[in-house]
Amino acid sequence: MKRDQSDIVNNQGSLSVSDESIARLLCDDNHVEEAVRLIMKKYGEPLYWHIRRMVVAHDDAEDCLQETMINVYKYRSTYSNEYPLSSWLYKIATNESLKLLKNRSGFTLSVDDLGDSLKDSVREEAAPDADETLILLQEAIALLPAKQKMVFNLRYYDDKSYEEIHQIVGDSVNTLKTNYHYAVQKIKDYILEHQL
Amino acid sequence: MKDFDLEGLSREMPYKMPEHFLDDMTERVVSQIGKQRKQHRERRIVALFAASVAAVALLFLHPFGGGLDIPSYESISQCASVDEVLQNMTAEELGVYSMMSNYYGN
Repeated sequence: MKRDQSDIVNNQGSLSVSDESIARLLCDDNHVEEAVRLIMKKYGEPLYWHIRRMVVAHDDAEDCLQETMINVYKYRSTYSNEYPLSSWLYKIATNESLKLLKNRSGFTLSVDDLGDSLKDSVREEAAPDADETLILLQEAIALLPAKQKMVFNLRYYDDKSYEEIHQIVGDSVNTLKTNYHYAVQKIKDYILEHQL
Repeated sequence: MKDFDLEGLSREMPYKMPEHFLDDMTERVVSQIGKQRKQHRERRIVALFAASVAAVALLFLHPFGGGLDIPSYESISQCASVDEVLQNMTAEELGVYSMMSNYYGN
């Protein structure tokens, strides 16, 4: 299949393929596997960290990322180029993370009730040489309600605009701004309270 | 009141991603997709085979439609209405008609 002119070869010699080309390959039955490889190369790492920030444990992030990619394959015909490919991928990854947390919370609890157990996992999962403030930041994020957590992570770590977050999460831009504002305030309060 | 500068903080994560994790994951996903595609192809072949067997069976039961005694265009055009045509059909013909109507969606 021909590639776009926007598919450029960078100075390391590796190919940087445009989202449009990846989306076209994804919808072509003969090139699905190639498209999946390209998605993993381009978005695998950001998607992994997006999921990991939501579910905390590596094993859970691994399951979610695998399920995300299988869903990308299964539901590829539902992708519309009205939205950027990255927003669609983040949306699937976010849904998979929420699904895992929902399964974890069972019938009686909501996803937002998992804060304490996620917070405990942060310290267990942290690298031995990890910076204490970074651990506190992750603990504070773990305690946030799911919606605030998603908005905060997408804005703070992934540098997404509110418009992009709207494409992923679905809420209005004003609601997202409010969620971000509350998240930042709660995180600052937590860190100030727990910092040595 | 004390404040904390969140923007000045490193965006690093306190966790580590295992080495070769993404490469291994890519191979696992591609292999799983390959298996799903194979299963899908096999299911399509089985469905096509079943449809072919059904078509051949129909031909044996009613070779070239002779056994159905389908009314000719002339005999149909002589009828006043569709209702009349339907009234003149045998139970078997009505069955085929109903099956075809369902198939074409009207």
